[in-house]
Amino acid sequence: MQTFDAHPFDPPAGVETLRREVRDFIARAAPKSDAAGRANCWAVCDADFSRAMGRAGYVGMTWPVEYGGHARHPLHRYVVLEELLAAGAPVGMHWIADRQSGPLLLRYGTEDQRRTYLPGIAAGETYVCIGMSEPGAGSDLASIRTQGVRDGDGWRLSGQKVWTTNAHNAQLMIALVRTVEGSQRNEGLTQFLIPLDTPGVTVRPIVDLVGGHDFNEVFLDNVHVPDTARVGPEGNGWKQVTAELSLERSGPERYLSSYAALVELIRFAGPDPEPVLAVLIGRLIAELWTLRQMSQSTAAKLAAGEDPALEAAIVKDLGNSFEQDLPRAIQAALDGAEDLSAATDLMRVLALLLQVSPSFSLRGGTREILRGIIARGLGLR
Amino acid sequence: MSETRTLLTDTADRLFADLAADPDAPFAEVWPTIAEAGFESLLLDEDQGGFGGDWGDLFAVVRLAGTHALAAPVGEAAVAAWALAQVGLTPSEGLATIVPMVEGELENGRFTGWLRGAPWGAAAETIVATHAGSLLRLRTADARIQPGQSPVGEPRDVLTFEAVPTEAAPSDIDLFACGAFLRTAQIAGALDAALAASIAYANERVQFGKPISKFQTVQQNLAIFAIEAAAVNSAGQAAARAADAGDASFEFAAAKLRANMAAGQGAALAHQVHGAIGFTLEYPLHRLTRRLAGWRSEFGGDRFWAQRLGRRVAGLGPEGLWPELARRSDAA
Repeated sequence: MQTFDAHPFDPPAGVETLRREVRDFIARAAPKSDAAGRANCWAVCDADFSRAMGRAGYVGMTWPVEYGGHARHPLHRYVVLEELLAAGAPVGMHWIADRQSGPLLLRYGTEDQRRTYLPGIAAGETYVCIGMSEPGAGSDLASIRTQGVRDGDGWRLSGQKVWTTNAHNAQLMIALVRTVEGSQRNEGLTQFLIPLDTPGVTVRPIVDLVGGHDFNEVFLDNVHVPDTARVGPEGNGWKQVTAELSLERSGPERYLSSYAALVELIRFAGPDPEPVLAVLIGRLIAELWTLRQMSQSTAAKLAAGEDPALEAAIVKDLGNSFEQDLPRAIQAALDGAEDLSAATDLMRVLALLLQVSPSFSLRGGTREILRGIIARGLGLR
Repeated sequence: MSETRTLLTDTADRLFADLAADPDAPFAEVWPTIAEAGFESLLLDEDQGGFGGDWGDLFAVVRLAGTHALAAPVGEAAVAAWALAQVGLTPSEGLATIVPMVEGELENGRFTGWLRGAPWGAAAETIVATHAGSLLRLRTADARIQPGQSPVGEPRDVLTFEAVPTEAAPSDIDLFACGAFLRTAQIAGALDAALAASIAYANERVQFGKPISKFQTVQQNLAIFAIEAAAVNSAGQAAARAADAGDASFEFAAAKLRANMAAGQGAALAHQVHGAIGFTLEYPLHRLTRRLAGWRSEFGGDRFWAQRLGRRVAGLGPEGLWPELARRSDAA
């Protein structure tokens, strides 16, 4: 067996120019922020920046031009994403719509849905949230209970979604709904595109442990949507969300969330670091470099039309473990002259990441679920 | 994978599997079979009588040597022959190997000093060594030899030279880093083989009325093992790609360090899954795990490569790291 057969990351020519353009764009358009503001930046929302990205052609990059896209190569998109993440640009507002909702509509949406929604997403103006988890359905997503019932030529949707990132910013939610009453597990599920201003939709904030507001509860109380809000065939929902999760799991955001702290460590250590810090930097770089190869290889496989679900699970689990270990390892290596109350860039970014990094191995599939997927890939279950 | 690489790996896989079936065969019988197959000249150009292979080919072959726990310096011989050809030193008639530790002086074309940890040093005819900006071509016939061993019992010999006439040529080839690349490839192969053995064993071994592979704790351990093996395989292949494109000093360092980290964890998990049977001399798991233990410290342990990489990155400065990572991979 060979656990990882690398697929060469060979984007079309022009990568160096592209990197230069993106770096110039970030220098021009991104708000100046300290290291803590640059950390975990794909959860940081800034509508002005998202619109600037849309104008610059960096949202919906790979989509056809007729839907507002730019018909770029998927690996050019990858290059743009890693540049944005390494720089800590606030890309959270449009991230989910660009990463998974747009591709979902391109693959399964109707012509009308594509024409209606994709241009706004590509402009960095329309944002989407994902209605998957429910109070009784987290890791066990197939146990969702939100129900859709035929009502004339439309549907009535009732139920509750939870941990819905950006529901308070987004105009749309793509929700996974049980449309066959009494259907078992992953059967009878259908996706719907619901404008969040539809009567009967209520969004309530959930404040996270640092006082931030990223996720929400979304209540659907007898919400009427036309049949044109259905995404893909009835009963095809499980297959569609599974495909979405593959796109979600192997991107550069899965290992770069703590990169800002590594940059601050290098600044703190100086050009001639003491041995303890040199060894730590070297170790973190070896891990970061390896993860980048793995993420790029997986992106190249996706671009070649393969479905690297197993590799994607491996990248996400290893990447999340790295992102979580990084602030802990730095904290452990410092000599203790300063603690986390210090107002230095290094201490502030460490303090933030030490508090928010537990979420890294929860969002997008828990570590335990991913390892279950890997175990299945190994033929153990 | 290219057609020639497939041909190469098919040949290597068959040959190494045959040799692994008789792990106690004397080296004097093993080596001629490998030499005859031409793996020594893997990196030499076709007009030098070689295979015309690249570092990706070398990774694939040496990885298979690791998979089969092959007790022979396949990679060392290929790198030694390549290094001699690169600088125009006389090719070796018999086995040539490389060495991690070199101490001594070259004065008026005569070398006085020590080579330590030489893989199959006593069995080799020639040892190629990096020393103070030069490549040395040393004859083992000129050396006093003190045999040494790796944990699994492979020769790692100490050779002492007393003012012996030595061919030398100025060179920036870093044979220590090349050796690190070879050990990365072997670790990648051995981890995959130990993982495959662990999965097979977990699916067979029944406890509490079911195969132990059905227990989530065992599944999670094997998943972690697979992730570590995947990391090394990915790092090694990327390092080979960098070498084929040009300078791979950064990539060889990062890949060996990552391999060292995985080797320890992977060997531990393999033994944990196997239970007591894996701890017996009769069961072949130890051929992989004892090699993994040795390879971790050969051609640079964790601290060595971490410190070298850390200093290099610190020198780039906080804003210099990302552009350098991007530049290096864009060039590959």
